[in-house]
Amino acid sequence: MKWWLSKPEDPARATSGTSSYEETIQQSVMLSSMQDLLAWGRRNSMWPFHFGLSCCFVEMATSMTPKYDVARFGAEVIRGTPREADVMIIAGTVFIKMAPIIKRLHEQMMEPRWVISMGSCANSGGMFDIYSVVQGVDKFLPVDVYVPGCPPRPDAFMEGLILLAESVGKEKRPLSWTIGEQGVIRPEKIDVKERRQEARSKMTEFRSPDEV
Amino acid sequence: MENGSGILEQLQARFGEDTFKPQTTQDEILTLWMPHDKIKDVLAFLKTEIPQPFPLLYDLTATDERTRKHENGHAPFAFTIIYHLLSFERNCFIRLKVGFRDEFPTVQSISSLWANANWYEREVYDMFGIRFEGHPHLSRILMPRTWVGHPLRKEHPARATEMGPFALYDDKVDLEQAALQFKPEEWGLARQSEDSDFMFLNIGPQHPGTHGVLRIILQLDGEDIVDAIPDIGFHHRGQEKMAERQSWHTYLPYTDRVDYLGGVMNNLAYLMAVEKLAGIQVPERVKVIRVMLCELFRIASHLVWYGTFAQDVGQLSPVFYMFTDRERIFDIVEAITGGRMHPNWFRIGGVAQDLPKGWEKLVQTFIDYFPKRLKEYDNMVLKNSLFKARTKGIGIFTKEEAIEWGVTGPNLRACGFDWDFRKKQPYSGYELFDFDIPTAANGDCYDRALVRVAEMRQSLRIVEQCLKNMPEGPYKADHPLTTPPIKKNTMHDIETLITHFLGVSWGPVMPAGEAMSCIEATKGANGYYVTSDGNTSPYRLRIRTPSFPHMQMLPYITKGYTVADLLSILGAMDYVLADIDR
Repeated sequence: MKWWLSKPEDPARATSGTSSYEETIQQSVMLSSMQDLLAWGRRNSMWPFHFGLSCCFVEMATSMTPKYDVARFGAEVIRGTPREADVMIIAGTVFIKMAPIIKRLHEQMMEPRWVISMGSCANSGGMFDIYSVVQGVDKFLPVDVYVPGCPPRPDAFMEGLILLAESVGKEKRPLSWTIGEQGVIRPEKIDVKERRQEARSKMTEFRSPDEV
Repeated sequence: MENGSGILEQLQARFGEDTFKPQTTQDEILTLWMPHDKIKDVLAFLKTEIPQPFPLLYDLTATDERTRKHENGHAPFAFTIIYHLLSFERNCFIRLKVGFRDEFPTVQSISSLWANANWYEREVYDMFGIRFEGHPHLSRILMPRTWVGHPLRKEHPARATEMGPFALYDDKVDLEQAALQFKPEEWGLARQSEDSDFMFLNIGPQHPGTHGVLRIILQLDGEDIVDAIPDIGFHHRGQEKMAERQSWHTYLPYTDRVDYLGGVMNNLAYLMAVEKLAGIQVPERVKVIRVMLCELFRIASHLVWYGTFAQDVGQLSPVFYMFTDRERIFDIVEAITGGRMHPNWFRIGGVAQDLPKGWEKLVQTFIDYFPKRLKEYDNMVLKNSLFKARTKGIGIFTKEEAIEWGVTGPNLRACGFDWDFRKKQPYSGYELFDFDIPTAANGDCYDRALVRVAEMRQSLRIVEQCLKNMPEGPYKADHPLTTPPIKKNTMHDIETLITHFLGVSWGPVMPAGEAMSCIEATKGANGYYVTSDGNTSPYRLRIRTPSFPHMQMLPYITKGYTVADLLSILGAMDYVLADIDR
């Protein structure tokens, strides 16, 4: 698939290209497999569930505001009901009193569904190794992406969302329960730490905290 | 405190010479031990009969005394119940203590004396297993109903990792969900009246209008609220138990997360108590830096409230403007502290580092920028006729009702009472600043909004004064108990090197004693009541948060309104769940 954008003030047909027959066909006919098309649709409109637990939710909500604008990645449509949502963001501490409710809410989400674990508490319990807190939401929910931070900055949350979107775009899911092989084939999970190791080890000079 | 003079004499004249045993504490609050058969009489006397009475039950909590090493001059008790009362006329607190020797004591309930004692007593029951005789509904409040044990007892494990791996089987989900089933009879609610059947509507714990994991069950007659039962505890992070194993220094980041919109303001509340214990006087520069950051956070917190409140009543765009302005505050906070929501930047005896070069310009830019925006928001929100229709005359309470329910902060000031701890009991140098206490008259949701908006302007005034009058000097006190410990002499002799090493690795040892702080936080009076047993971590730490009593008042102020009004009332209350459940 190949396309380019034109600007509204540009005269019509001022796009690059030769306007040949071949090119025109290329622009108006799209060839893809059904599976890829669906995956492309899924990855570009991930609707999050309006669900928050604690401090992280404030940062998640901040990502929807103009400075960060998560709408750029097709994820601004916050759904109030789990039945309409694609991705559940466990934004905050997973309390033992809340765990059965989180589980039920997750069950109410329709397939395909994904889970982002946002912040240290949801990842592992974080600093709250205390009687009332579950030590990581992955004790009872399958997690697709972990976002570290306490709380993660909105940028970090958005990066997690993009990571998930990339993975969703590569997922292979059966088109129906009667067509093809059943079961979901997911791409391998990426270790961002490893991927960035090289670039990070080159960082040797840092700005002093004594200056703004 | 001179305002507290004469109280002991009056109490002794009424109840006998030997009834009360005074205790000296580091915070100089009059502290009296009293026998448990006189609790109700003494408290009733203090609330109504004594001249210049104590009308506000500020806090009610308990301590498990069984593992104490240092006694406080009294026979060893197993448990102590502690009452904190506040007198507005005297402008002072009084602390009353009752000791018990039983493992599971029973105490006279004072829920008939103060409306807000109800939840405090339920909390003490939930956390300590102490029963209250005459309490109308003594049940768990923070922990799940299926919980075994009482977490703040010393024998209860603190860590989740001590309690075995967590598993959530389907049976367990069903069991927990069944325990959450609401039975109106348990709460003394009728299912029908003479002419109609009531509907019970469950809101939360997952609901966009509750601002977090809060559950409210409404008893409805048509659309009118007959009664409401808030169910809290879904956000309980065991902050008080956590303090008992953290060092005095490493507990600081936990305080950030109590009122998670208040940021360093929580650090301040904790440090005011710890510094009283340690006897640290902080330098002037520290005071002003602390005040400046606290006021910036007050604006940030009020901005979140402003936006979400407007959203609650149907205005979808203001929240986008206000979060953008909040980002501008975070730009300053980030430049100074390196963090955003939880900077954890104050230290015992000072702050983490000096202000960076160029901070003045950042703050000045914000001071120039923000008033115009506030004016725009007045037009956008406060003058909007729909906003007025949704908030005026809704959720009214009077000054007397507010005091009865333990309401503090902007919610109290909206009833026309200019009580602000920054002015009345100045701390951290607030007495040096020139600012007004905004009040309103009607005590409805709209007035609560007016007060908070006016407070943002006052906070900005304070920030401006900080900018213009920032004193020079050290950013940390020269005191052996400050953290991290001072290093200047460590390389000169072995003694100071050892002390420094211990101060860094174990943390400072606070002298045995107790102290309470009370600050005007973003949402109301926030206080830390810390007890030291002469150890590297607190023996007991109690966090008095403003949102807890505010939420307790909800049933009282929602009766007779509609479901839509409930959301206005919740929005105007300005609470965060971490501040309620801790």
